[in-house]
Amino acid sequence: MKDSRIEERDTTMNDTKISARGVQVYYADNHAIKDVDVEIQDKTVTAFIGPSGCGKTTFLRCLNRMNDTIDICRVKGTIEIDGEDIYDKRIDPVQLRRKVGMVFQKPNPFPKSIYDNVAYGPKIHGMARNKSELDEIVEKALRRGAIWDEVKDRLNAPGTGLSGGQQQRICIARAVATEPEILLMDEPCSALDPIASSQVEELIDELKENYSVVIVTHSMQQAARVSQKTAFFHLGNLVEYGDTDEIFTNPQDKRTESYITGRIG
Amino acid sequence: MPTHWLFLIVLALGIAGWFAARQKALASAGGSMRALHSLPNTYGTNAAIWTIVPALLILGAWIVIQPVVLDHWVSGSIPDSAVTDAGDRSLVMADVRRIAAGLNLAVAGGGLSAEEALSMQADAVSIRERMADLGIAIGTEPTQVSLDAAQKWFRIERVGRIAMTVIVLGAAATGFALALLRARRDVNARASVERAILGLLIGAALIAILTTVGIVMSMVFETADFFSRYSWTEFFFSTDWDPRFQGGSSLGMLPLLWGTLYISFIALLVAVPIGLFAAIYLSEYAGPRVRAVAKPLIEVLAGIPTIVYGLFALITVGPFLRDYFAQPMGFGNSSSSVMTAGLVMGIMLIPFVSSLSDDIINAVPQSLRDGSYGLGSTQSETVRQVVLPAALPGIVGAILLAASRAIGETMIVVLGAGAAARMSLNPFEAMTTVTVKIVSQLTGDTDFNSPETLVAFALGLTLFVMTLALNVLALYIVRRYREQYE
Repeated sequence: MKDSRIEERDTTMNDTKISARGVQVYYADNHAIKDVDVEIQDKTVTAFIGPSGCGKTTFLRCLNRMNDTIDICRVKGTIEIDGEDIYDKRIDPVQLRRKVGMVFQKPNPFPKSIYDNVAYGPKIHGMARNKSELDEIVEKALRRGAIWDEVKDRLNAPGTGLSGGQQQRICIARAVATEPEILLMDEPCSALDPIASSQVEELIDELKENYSVVIVTHSMQQAARVSQKTAFFHLGNLVEYGDTDEIFTNPQDKRTESYITGRIG
Repeated sequence: MPTHWLFLIVLALGIAGWFAARQKALASAGGSMRALHSLPNTYGTNAAIWTIVPALLILGAWIVIQPVVLDHWVSGSIPDSAVTDAGDRSLVMADVRRIAAGLNLAVAGGGLSAEEALSMQADAVSIRERMADLGIAIGTEPTQVSLDAAQKWFRIERVGRIAMTVIVLGAAATGFALALLRARRDVNARASVERAILGLLIGAALIAILTTVGIVMSMVFETADFFSRYSWTEFFFSTDWDPRFQGGSSLGMLPLLWGTLYISFIALLVAVPIGLFAAIYLSEYAGPRVRAVAKPLIEVLAGIPTIVYGLFALITVGPFLRDYFAQPMGFGNSSSSVMTAGLVMGIMLIPFVSSLSDDIINAVPQSLRDGSYGLGSTQSETVRQVVLPAALPGIVGAILLAASRAIGETMIVVLGAGAAARMSLNPFEAMTTVTVKIVSQLTGDTDFNSPETLVAFALGLTLFVMTLALNVLALYIVRRYREQYE
């Protein structure tokens, strides 16, 4: 652990965006995340990998307090974004989630038109003063989501009528439309075919110019392709965290090595 | 042989068949269950089904059909000279059935031999007294014509009864024999039992459907009768409702329809917001503990008999509205009013709206809520902009179902709305509904041959068509909604 932190400082010139210390998560009596410390950097893609049920998604959902919507879930420890404790009482989770956008495993477009799906966030946050500003925001978001060309002629068609890959890119566009600083992606490609996946991966690569991206993935190839930093979770522990190249070529921990070579998981 | 004995014998035969077939099947496999095609009990069940079901079906059909056929035959044998018109013939036939039943009882009781019953003459002794001696009451002294007919009835019925016994027992015995013959190790008794179960299930579904068809048919025939006596344009488009049993009544349904729709409208105005908000609270905001208590409590409202709601309207809500709203504001001084009935009916409908909406809101996938929260929206924004639009078709369906309940509701409006057929906009005035008028046209000693009574069927059919249309529309909307998320 210590080694990897030193390397962090060496290899990056970016600032720390998210800093988590001693994070514990319980689902009722089930201890799901055990004492996780991690520093996630700005303008970087960080991948969380690990076998099913290891707590990747749970930890991801701590970062924008989505776990608040689950009654039995309790979070301990501190998570700071830009030096501010997000579990502080004064922090409004609604405001936090505007800053920390999220894309989910299954594409979940609202039963509205494509336009309204993307305009949803900007509307509720009052980001546009008039219709033309809103149009601009929507177009910009759809362009960032790499789907503008496909849907520009049918912005009023329902978002649910698109294909899975298009739906997921609409969801990404929807998330970037509120101009978050961090984008959390929970296995964004698991419901997509290879072509759609590679489109989303390209998109992630572009997004890191502006955002800090945290992506949970089951595909180690994907983690290796898109991320600069990788964290390996196992049974609720953060086993190893460091540069993606290091993790995949020269893992320090036995468990990491076993996982990436396919012996556990 | 009395019918219940016949029934018991068939059952006993079936049980005997169960054991016999089981035994025989086992024997055919040399006592080894594994060599059998089906389980021994299945062979037994198969035999029992073959013995009991056809026999009982024949028995049931016979019991239903025999009186109809008898009626036709006997009624045809009454000479036209003895009766003046069709109505008279049915009166004579009612007499005939009573006398025949009397003869039957007398013979069964042993007070009269069958030969004596058949040779009775109307002029000889007073049959009424003779029967009275035997403890059997007959209304009026029968005429020769009706006595002849009754004797014919009695004779055919006796023959029919014997034939029925023979045929039913024959069917049971045949089934028994056939099934026993087929209780062998290589016969697939399971398939046969499966088919019987399928038949049972289809039968149950058919009964439900046929009953609906039967209800509609009976309404349609009576309504056709009504329209042959009363102009349909008057009925549908006249605004005057004034039934008079001495004739010359005006039977326009518009005032009744107006009352029905007005009261339903107020009821929905009460039930939809309250029910919907309650559903949103329960499904989106309430914790599991609150929900576990609150949901059944709301549904208790659905279990209150509507007559109790009616009493509530009559003695509590009506006077309250009159004393504190209608009279001070000069809207009238009637305690039964559209408002009274509408409010109370609205309360009755709350659980319909809330329970159905709650289910529908719960069916909205959690991923949509997560998506909305993930974009930084509050709970009420999520509910208003994502959950409700997604659930809207289902909620509309729930509201339409509640509306069809409101339109068909009777007891609350009987007690709460009054009986005055009137078209007015003032909600504090007494008005009346279609259902109330159906009740009032049919209560009392009436025969169904005047427009004043038959109008009830036309009203009922109109109501039925309206609620049916609403239900179909609701089902259509709900079904379309379901396809979206499965």
